[in-house]
Amino acid sequence: MKGIKKHVVLVLAIAVALIACKQPTEQINNAKAAIESATKAGADKYAVDESKKLDADLKVAMDEVATQDKKFFKKFGPAKEMLAKIQTDADALKAALPAKVEAAKNLAVSLQGEARKGLDAAKALLDKAPKGKGTAKDLEALKGDLAGAETAFADIQKAIDVQDYIAAQDKAKSVSAAAAKVAEQVQAAIDKVKGVKK
Amino acid sequence: MKAPVTATGILLLGLLFGTFACSTPPVPPEVQQAQRLDEDLRRTGVSSYAPQDYDRFQGRLKDGRDKIAAEKAKFGWFREYASIRDDFRVLLNEGGTLLQHIRSFKVSKTETFQTRARTLVDRVERLKQMTGYFNENGPVRMNLAQAEIKLAEVGFLLKKEEYEAGSRGLADGEFYVRAAEQAIADVLSRYLDNRELAKWKRWTQESIDESRQKGSVVFLVSKLERRITIYKAGVAVGTYEIGLGRYGLSDKLYAGDEATPEGKYKIVQKFPASEFYKALLINYPNEDDKKAFAAARAKGLIPGQAGIGGAIELHGGGKDSLTKGCVGMENGDMDRVYDYARVGTAVTIVGAVSIENTILAEIVKFEKNG
Repeated sequence: MKGIKKHVVLVLAIAVALIACKQPTEQINNAKAAIESATKAGADKYAVDESKKLDADLKVAMDEVATQDKKFFKKFGPAKEMLAKIQTDADALKAALPAKVEAAKNLAVSLQGEARKGLDAAKALLDKAPKGKGTAKDLEALKGDLAGAETAFADIQKAIDVQDYIAAQDKAKSVSAAAAKVAEQVQAAIDKVKGVKK
Repeated sequence: MKAPVTATGILLLGLLFGTFACSTPPVPPEVQQAQRLDEDLRRTGVSSYAPQDYDRFQGRLKDGRDKIAAEKAKFGWFREYASIRDDFRVLLNEGGTLLQHIRSFKVSKTETFQTRARTLVDRVERLKQMTGYFNENGPVRMNLAQAEIKLAEVGFLLKKEEYEAGSRGLADGEFYVRAAEQAIADVLSRYLDNRELAKWKRWTQESIDESRQKGSVVFLVSKLERRITIYKAGVAVGTYEIGLGRYGLSDKLYAGDEATPEGKYKIVQKFPASEFYKALLINYPNEDDKKAFAAARAKGLIPGQAGIGGAIELHGGGKDSLTKGCVGMENGDMDRVYDYARVGTAVTIVGAVSIENTILAEIVKFEKNG
């Protein structure tokens, strides 16, 4: 019995010595494949920070692999754990992406609504602005500006329709800024007519 | 005695075997370096910039890994990595070049982007300033507003290093700027027509000559220069700034077009008090206007049942208001004009006396300098 136990220990010792030496190639490939899969699903667009963290974590894991590779008695255990976690995190990120895409869509729609409000407010201000001395031409010019912003507003929905929600957000923010600028200039024209000094 | 010795010997042999199998010969460090190079390439977004080069790199990396795996499957003493190391060195060289190329490309792309965006911003600003010179700027401002919105979007894309989308955004912005420039050209092209300029110069000279010969007063209105000059006996005695119709730079053709007419007219009535302070009614339409109207109607250029129009005046109420085609000026300036005016006083309205110091000179300079 004792002899068998010793043989088992010996075999185990050899096995451990062999296995512990091997680079965690499979874990590396799995981790990279999981990251690639998450990226293809849109992680780099809709989960930018999490995507960058995965890349950073992979770099740390690969550095650890490289460090161990240089040693005589290699210990790839910690690196394998890191890589396994990366794979898990990437898979979880991919699973969470539909919710993030939905959140991006909701934000795009919300910003679209704000842009609409901004345009309506600028238009209302322009409509009631008194066309007094020195302002008629300015107000006409601002009508042109508002018309341009209205045309650009239509592009927001086009971006939402093709599910490019980040582009839709950027467009909505740009239109809101343009509408706010028109409103500011209309107010300045109104103040000019009233003779308000700033 | 025999059993412990045998077991210990086997254990030692096993450990020796395990150690030997793992340590000799080592996998070349170039393999690890190639893997890290692969990650660096991925982080630069290589798939977007050089997808075919990256596919080739990855293919050869995989081949190299397969060869490594094949060697590792052999007993330690029979492993040979020399040729594989050479392969990986070539791969590192090519991958390194690709990485450097992409990094340089991104730096130059950013600089190009920023230069293009700055140029576009400058063009937009200068065109916006130009729109202050004339009333017919609705289409111009509309296009410029869209250009500015596109530039704002490009700013977001540049921050995210999305150069392809950003480049398309800049192209869109350039499209809107060109549309704005075309809209300006549509309004002002008549003012670069030598025949029109010659006609206006002739009317101007004839009016001044007549004023000199008769010792009379003539009011000379130059639309592009936005001024009215009072000539008495051929000598300019006063110049004042004016406002025009919404489409004042066009030659009036029909009622409701809000254009200011061009031609030689006479004052037919003086109004000491009107909706727009003092006012001087001129005899628009004259015979030339009637001929032009008839010709336009025959060509189908008059909308609906529109008539030729009338009630064109020189009046007060301010030079910045948009009239329906009349010539407007500040009340104080109108007082001086009114004092010189009599029923029968000549009023000559031209497109331009000179294009120097006007928006056209600005445009010519703009086109030369880009």
